[in-house]
Order: sequence, then C-alpha cells, then structure tokens
Amino acid sequence: MTAARGWPEPGEVVLQCERVMRELGGDVKTRILHEVSVSIRAREFVSLTGASGSGKSTLLYLLGALDRPSSGRVLLDGVDLGALDDDGRGALRGNKLGFVFQFHFLLPEFSVLENVMIPMLRRGRRSRSSARAHALATLEKMGLGELAARRPGQLSGGQQQRVSIARAVANDPKIVLADEPTGNLDTANAEGVMGVFESLVRDEGLTLVMVTHERAFAARASRQLVMQDGHIISDLDQRGPSDG
Amino acid sequence: MPRVVLFIALRQLWARKLLNSIAVLGVMLGVLTLIAINAIMQGFQVKFLDNILKISPHVVLLDKQLRPAPPILARFLRRPVVAEVAHETPSDRQLRINRPLELLRSIEALPGVVAAAGSLNGSAVLVFGPKQYPVDMRGIEPVSQDRVTQVSSYVTTGSYRALTGSDGIIVGAGIAQRIGVRVGDRVSLGSPLGQTLSLKVVGIFDAGIPPVDATRVYVSLRDAQAILGKPDVVGRVEVRLATPARAADVATQLEAVFGYDAESWQESNANFLALFKQQNSIIGFVIGAILAVGGFGILAIQIMIVLQKTRDIAILRSVGFRRTDILTAFLLQGAIIALVGAAVGDLSGHYLVRFLGTMKTKQESLVRSETFLVHDDPKMYVYGALFALVVGLLASFIPAWRGSRVEPVDVLRGQIG
Ligand SMILES: Nc1ncnc2c1ncn2[C@@H]1O[C@H](COP(=O)(O)OP(=O)(O)OP(=O)(O)O)[C@@H](O)[C@H]1O
Ligand SMILES: [Mg+2]
Repeated sequence: MTAARGWPEPGEVVLQCERVMRELGGDVKTRILHEVSVSIRAREFVSLTGASGSGKSTLLYLLGALDRPSSGRVLLDGVDLGALDDDGRGALRGNKLGFVFQFHFLLPEFSVLENVMIPMLRRGRRSRSSARAHALATLEKMGLGELAARRPGQLSGGQQQRVSIARAVANDPKIVLADEPTGNLDTANAEGVMGVFESLVRDEGLTLVMVTHERAFAARASRQLVMQDGHIISDLDQRGPSDG
Repeated sequence: MPRVVLFIALRQLWARKLLNSIAVLGVMLGVLTLIAINAIMQGFQVKFLDNILKISPHVVLLDKQLRPAPPILARFLRRPVVAEVAHETPSDRQLRINRPLELLRSIEALPGVVAAAGSLNGSAVLVFGPKQYPVDMRGIEPVSQDRVTQVSSYVTTGSYRALTGSDGIIVGAGIAQRIGVRVGDRVSLGSPLGQTLSLKVVGIFDAGIPPVDATRVYVSLRDAQAILGKPDVVGRVEVRLATPARAADVATQLEAVFGYDAESWQESNANFLALFKQQNSIIGFVIGAILAVGGFGILAIQIMIVLQKTRDIAILRSVGFRRTDILTAFLLQGAIIALVGAAVGDLSGHYLVRFLGTMKTKQESLVRSETFLVHDDPKMYVYGALFALVVGLLASFIPAWRGSRVEPVDVLRGQIG
C-alpha cells in the first residue's frame, strides 16, 4: 500500500529524543532546547522549520551524534548516544548517518570522487575498488559523473552541494541529516537538490531530516516539524488517513 | 590504522609542498650537520687512535712492582724494620723487570695476547755535529718488538732490520729534519748515568704522529742498556693483543698475575680520550640543538596547518573519523617530513663528507695529513634518521593533539547558524 503523495510507509522508530534539553554558554547558561521529545521513523522525510535561532541546528546536531544533550536522551536504533564515548559516536556517525551542511563542506585537496569515497574508506565495508565504483555510480545518478575528477574549488555552489549529498548518501547511511542544504542555492539548483532528496526517500528508502527556511520545500516533506524558542510547536504528518 | 588515514596525510602534505619543504629543509640541515661534523670529528679521532695503536703497544708492563719484596733484614727478623728501611738507597732497589725472558714467555702464552717484547726506555741526548737534541730513546729487540708495534712499516728510508746489528739507530723523521741527519750519518747518543755511544743512522721512520716523530729514536736493547748505565736491565714489557678494546682487562690480569704495574693504551692516552669524549659531548649538544631547531620548524608549520584545517578536521570527524585518526594523520605528516628530511640530509651529508675528504689541507698537530680527515660512519646515517624521526614525532605531537581535540560541532556552530 502506498501512502499519501506517494511517500513510502514509515517503518519502526529509528531516532528518538526523550525530553532532550540543551544548554549552551560559559558562565551564564542559556537554555536552547527545552525538553524536546520526538520520534522519527524509518523512511520518513521530516522537514524542520522555525525562526532563526529557534534551535533547529542544535537539535540536528544532537540527532546526528555530533553533540550531547545537557539532559534527556537521544536514541539511535535504541542506543543512547549520550552514553557513548567520543569514538563510539564517531563510529556511529560513520556507519549510520550522513550529513549535508548548509555550506558544502568538502575537502579542498581531494577530487570530487575522493571526497565521496573517503567516508566509505574509513567505514571499511567496501574494498577500495568497490567504493570507487559505488561513488562514481552515485555521482552519475546526480548528474555529476563528468565532474568526478575535479577539485571542489572548480565546481559551482550547486554542484558542490550535490557532491556533499552524494558523499552523505553513498556511504549507505540509515539516516541523512541536512541543515539548510538549499540555503545558498538559486531556485533551479535548490529544486535539483530537493529532487534528489525526494527520490532518495521515495525510491531508496532513506530516512531524511531536513532543516529549511523555504516553506515550499518544507511542505513537500512527509512530515513537518516547526520549532520556536527551543520547543517543537507543530508536528504535522502529511500522510493523513484522508487519502485512501 | 585505516589506510585512508595515510592517504589523507600524504595528500595534505603534498597540497602544502612549499610550506612542508621548508620543514624538510630544517630537518635536512640538522641531519647534514650531524653527518658532516661527526665525520670530521671522528676522522681526526679515528686516525689519531689508529696511529697511536699502531705505534704504541696495547698494554705495557712497567718496572714498578706493586708488592715489592720486603727488605732482606725484615724477612730475616720477621718483624717491621723501620730504621733499616731508611738506609736503603735508590740503587739498592734498582727498577727492573726480573727474569724478563721467562716473563715474556708466560705472557705470550696468555689467551688474547698476540706478542710481547721487552725493552728499555730512557731520555738521552743525541749529538750530531754541533747540534744537541734531547730524545726519547727506545731500546728494543728489533724482531720481537716489530711483532708488538710494527715500527718497520714506518721506516721510510734505510732499513729496520739493520738495527739488529750493533751500533745502529733509527730516528724519527721530525728529528732528522730538525738536526739534518741522513741515513749513513754517524751520531752520538748518551746519558748522564751511562756511556755515550757513537751510532750510525740506519733508518728514518715516519709514523704520521708529529709528537712521536719529533722525539723518538730506536736503538738496540743492548745499546740502550749501555747508554743508560743499566746493564742487563729490561725496563718494560710491551704487549700486543688480538682485541685492543680488551686492553684494560688484560692489564688488570697481568697486574694480578705478575705483580708489576700494567697500563692499557687507554690509560696511557687517558688525556686524549677524555678530551675526545668532551669534544664529542659538546658536538653532540650542538647537533642536538640544530635538530631541535628543525623540530621547531615542523612545530610552527604544523600548528599553522592545524589552525587552517580546523574545518577539514570537522568534516572528517563528522563523517566517522575518530580522534586517533586525526592524531595519526598529523603525526604521520611529522614523521614523513622528518624521514624525507633525514633521507635528503643523509644523502647530501654523504656527498659533503666525500667532498671534504678530497679537500686539501695541511694538518701538522697530533696527526699529519694532506687532506681533510673524515670518517664516513654508516651508523651515523641511521642515528641521524632515528634522531630526526624522534624530533619530528615530538614536534608534531602538539599540533596533532590540538587537531584531534577539534569538536565538529564547535566548527559547525561557528559557521552555520
Ligand atoms: N555557542 C553558543 N553559546 C550560546 N548560545 C548559542 C551558541 N550557539 C548558538 N547559540 C544560540 O542557540 C540558539 C539556537 O541556535 P541554532 O543554531 O540551533 O538556531 P537555528 O534554529 O539553527 O537558527 P538558524 O535558522 O539561524 O540556523 C540561538 O539563539 C543561538 O543564539
Ligand atoms: Mg541553523
């Protein structure tokens, strides 16, 4: 059975926040997230919107094992991220997660292909040649096949952003976390990136959490979360039973 | 360590070729200095010791008894005889080695001993025409002595064998030059306590050690005994060993067995050896300092790179690289810089040493040589590389540690809202 708007049926809970609180700052602590609880299920495409400074990125870093909550728990596949040490979280990021940041974070000394291969090589699940083939295939799927040998500095912003998506998804992550992936792109490029994401969720069963300021893009997700002042104030699942 | 870490380290090194080659240059200079200075120091020291060991015995048994037999009266009375001892005159206790032939035979029978020869040394005055010249006279048995210290190989003109006949003398090249004697000339040699003999110059030797060549003469043992007024006296026994390094042990052993004071060549040349040791430690310190400067080069450059690379470290950490991966990547870079620097330093050091070895200089102090004395010691190349590696690893540890502590989330917060 196909859900509304053609989104796949969500699976079990993969990522879960339990009353996650995060404080930042030195002597004077500011509470940035107030006991946020949310569960994300496999094959969901979650958009996260909210005013600037509402805590979207902060939440994303917590979900992505890049940060630890001040209190509460973040569970990835049932594993409490707060209980893992630094290496444990590093390994988990490499094995289960993919990141796309607002500013295409690519390594300038390596070719596009190498940038995509490096996380795979570190994960060590594929041989060098298989990693290479898979990276190339992923790049080709995104229309970047011809650029594989170039350095990131020789690409346009939109191309770089697509390369960082390729890097995030080529390593076969369970979940991709994207922080304003279209923030720096023109309409056409932004549309291209959205297209890639949609097809990844729809056809490859990826789970995606995407922070965005674009209402139109947020609305295209299967589930929309809205944040304000460190709270999730709205959680809208688009696959309502109305469609049937 | 995952292979990709090495891949990343190499690529990052290569991406900053210019900067890193400055660091390589620093290490290279350190290693080059180490190789060159050491070759020069050792060139001199090795040559000097070499010469010393050829012309000097490994162990000398001196005519000083360690446990002198008690005076006859004391032996008879079986009690201390202080008053009687005071009456002894130096001539009562002439310094000599008793029964030298038997002693020589037993020494030569000892393991590790190649040869032994008895001789008598003393100061004498050489007179040639109007010229007088004080000399260090060595009265030797030419055949047995030549097996202990191969004087014959240094005889440049005349013949060593001619010393076996009577009334011959072999003089050092320095003496010959100073007083102008030549082979065939007659000289007289005498001392206050004995006779003055008229001797014929049968040879001139040149050991390449100016202090020896300018003072030493060789005569037959019998002539020396006559000149010093010590008939039949053997004053010392010189010993040659299979392994010169064992000289100190053998000396102790000889002292214990025969009761005469024995001196190893290390003891005889203790002042030089101590000087060399001090020289070497000063040089070692200087070389260490130069390499440390090279290390600071690596440190400065790598700290800069780590600061510039914070973003890249954050990327690597966010895609699954561990802290130790980052640490390893930077340590690898330090090690590679050090090893490349050491290789280049070793190579250029080798050529510098070879070049120095052909350079003409006149050296006339403790050793004589026409060219720069260098000793190309293969060990030093390995030491240079190891030392550089340690310095490189130490220097890159601080930057590497800093790099490994970079938290991706701090970088992300600073850059994206
Ligand atoms: N290091 C810090 N120390 C203290 N406060 C911080 C720190 N970093 C961020 N903040 C604050 O935390 C709040 C949430 O920041 P966050 O980056 O999560 O917002 P955001 O929703 O992603 O905003 P934007 O849409 O601009 O990216 C902001 O008010 C910000 O000022
Ligand atoms: Mg943000």
